[in-house]
Amino acid sequence: MAADVHKKKSWEVSNGLLAPADGQHVAERSESPTPGLAQGTEPGAGQEGAMFVHTRSYEDLTSSEDGGAASQSPEEGQGDQDDQIKMEQISKDFSELSTQLTGVVLDFEEEMRQSKDDKLDLSPQTSRHDSVLSGKEEEDVTMDAWRMHQKHVFVLSEAGKPVYSRYGSEEALSSTMGVMMALVSFLEAEKNAIRSIHADGYKVVFVRRSPLVLVAVARTRQSEQDIAHELLYIYYQILSLLTWTQLNHIFQQKQNYDLRRLLAGSERITDNLLDLMARDPSFLMGAARCLPMAAGVRDAVSTSLQQARAKSLVFSILLSRNQLVSLVRKKDQFLHPIDLHLLFNLISSSSSFREGEAWTPICLPKFNSCGFFHAHISYLEQDTDLCLLLVSTDREDFFTVSDCKRRFQERLKKRGVYHALREALLTPFYSVSQVGISDLRHFIYKSKSSGLFTSPEIEAPYVSEEEKERLLGLYQYLHSRAHNSSRPLKNIYFTGQNENLLAWVTSAFELYVCFSPLTTKAAAVGAVNKLMKWIRREEDHLFILMPQTY
Amino acid sequence: MSGQRVDAKVVMLGKEYVGKTSLVERYVHNRFLVGPYQNTIGAAFVAKVMSVAGRTVTLGIWDTAGSERYEAMSRIYYRGAKAAIVCYDLTDSSSFQQENLWVHELQNFEEHCRIYLCGTKSDLLDEDRRKRGVDFHDVQDYADEIKAELFETSSKTGQNVDELFQKVAEDYVHFTAFQVMTEEKGVDLSQKSGTYFYSCCHH
Repeated sequence: MAADVHKKKSWEVSNGLLAPADGQHVAERSESPTPGLAQGTEPGAGQEGAMFVHTRSYEDLTSSEDGGAASQSPEEGQGDQDDQIKMEQISKDFSELSTQLTGVVLDFEEEMRQSKDDKLDLSPQTSRHDSVLSGKEEEDVTMDAWRMHQKHVFVLSEAGKPVYSRYGSEEALSSTMGVMMALVSFLEAEKNAIRSIHADGYKVVFVRRSPLVLVAVARTRQSEQDIAHELLYIYYQILSLLTWTQLNHIFQQKQNYDLRRLLAGSERITDNLLDLMARDPSFLMGAARCLPMAAGVRDAVSTSLQQARAKSLVFSILLSRNQLVSLVRKKDQFLHPIDLHLLFNLISSSSSFREGEAWTPICLPKFNSCGFFHAHISYLEQDTDLCLLLVSTDREDFFTVSDCKRRFQERLKKRGVYHALREALLTPFYSVSQVGISDLRHFIYKSKSSGLFTSPEIEAPYVSEEEKERLLGLYQYLHSRAHNSSRPLKNIYFTGQNENLLAWVTSAFELYVCFSPLTTKAAAVGAVNKLMKWIRREEDHLFILMPQTY
Repeated sequence: MSGQRVDAKVVMLGKEYVGKTSLVERYVHNRFLVGPYQNTIGAAFVAKVMSVAGRTVTLGIWDTAGSERYEAMSRIYYRGAKAAIVCYDLTDSSSFQQENLWVHELQNFEEHCRIYLCGTKSDLLDEDRRKRGVDFHDVQDYADEIKAELFETSSKTGQNVDELFQKVAEDYVHFTAFQVMTEEKGVDLSQKSGTYFYSCCHH
């Protein structure tokens, strides 16, 4: 494959005007969007300011603002030669260890037999019970099938105790995880930090967030940065159940605590998050996808939500299958896209919310990792996918919040939008053919200022799950090239075997477009301008332009 | 309005995987869902209206999560409860051993909360009696000791499920009727005192 990469500006400036000076003025929303639009005026930008914490770029999400663990490489920037020597040392150490690792996996059965006497919880009955609790059949880690998975994810404590494994039971992997911890500690002893190992088509990526260590072993095309980003999501997922404070407190009390006790039953949520990240571009975009619907209906829903407020409410969110219908927030309080994704994942990973009204403590780690919010989660009706999520600060406030739901539903009925809302659910995706550009197969457009993105249904030839994931993989690749921290790119034209892709990243928006392989670069550039005009025309349908607060 | 729509708060307690959600599911929707186990997240609330001796009673049932993660949180769910259904798995003796902890907590913090011990999955015993992990008479003795009721139920067949909740509602009606008579209303300081004096002067 040939990646044709432009550093900048081959076709970016079409009217020679970069960024209107007073970009914030709504009245001056440009009719035909021009490249280099200022943030806040791009298609999809909200008119009343953003709903989310402002994440200017992808780098914000992965930066080391939390925990500070990522900045633990004081040796960085010491000169290439130094690094070179270290890398050689590391790879030498690793090759020794990796043989050990394989040996360990193969020998684990024997080891288990030996340790059976002193470890009661390894009895077959308990592990059967555990697998029932987590709702999945545990895989045999000695089998080839286990090794063939595209991406393994392991979470362990600093004492080397297993916390989570995506495939296979944690018990069976305890020695493997021990080796992982040994690797981490080995380098830390030298005041260094291990980030990744690249070998044999695999990327082994480490993320250290004391008191946890997260490791991914991936065969995907994702960059190390993207994989680390996914691991951070897993870390935040764990925080959302426990809070950072509780997690640290536990390990301060007892270093070799078995965290699985507290996380029991949450494996399903973590598994679901990993699956979702492999097929939903929301995570890659760091943005939320809106359910397309008529602006009038959405505004009526937002107003109804806004009116059904209570003192302790911070966020009221209506969603359908991981798509946002409306989000109303307390004035001056912003939700972070990561927190929203965790909420979406929580809801999609469990069917138990369909019964009655759930009231659960939840930590939104990007908002505040020290405490719990209380979330009221319920579906509007048994047979719809419309799920209402009310986030409250007061755990005693269940009935008040429950009453907000009742009031919201009453308002919806009174305004007569209930029917229209249900109607919108029937067409959760639009077809790319509506844009009217031949050779255009699919696209993802993100408005940076609103933190929202839009994307048509993935259609032929991306029919099978593998093909869909392959398409997302291509987007991931373009995304990682565009956001490469050492050499970021603004425009990328990628010619592949089966499709041509184009990426365009500005300070206001990100656009990733997939064309048929027959298209030319010139045609693609023309098509992109047409596409941008289409998005502008449809923006009130595709985005939430009038976010409400209370 | 808020909080008033429920007459009696009922809380389901017990270790994870004993079948609290299935029990509520059977009682409220009269169905039993077959499928992979799904742990409850936090707690789920359902209200069920029923009639007892010509009176309608709304039970507000809190189905709590059994996992240890939520244990610290469980007090908010059982606070003020009129009844607690403490569940254990008839085939799993370890689930009964945890019973004691819940009962202790209830006795210490919620003295007005009536306790119902509920053995679940009795259909498994019908298939094979050897599966029983908790002896009936042992539990009965324990129930007498702590003044609790005992039911052995099956959410799969529905056996004893309605009976359990019927008893909860009946007890509630019976005991609150008694309470209303004994409980004198205290003076409400926030109420305007004028009305008192007015009626007083005219007699």
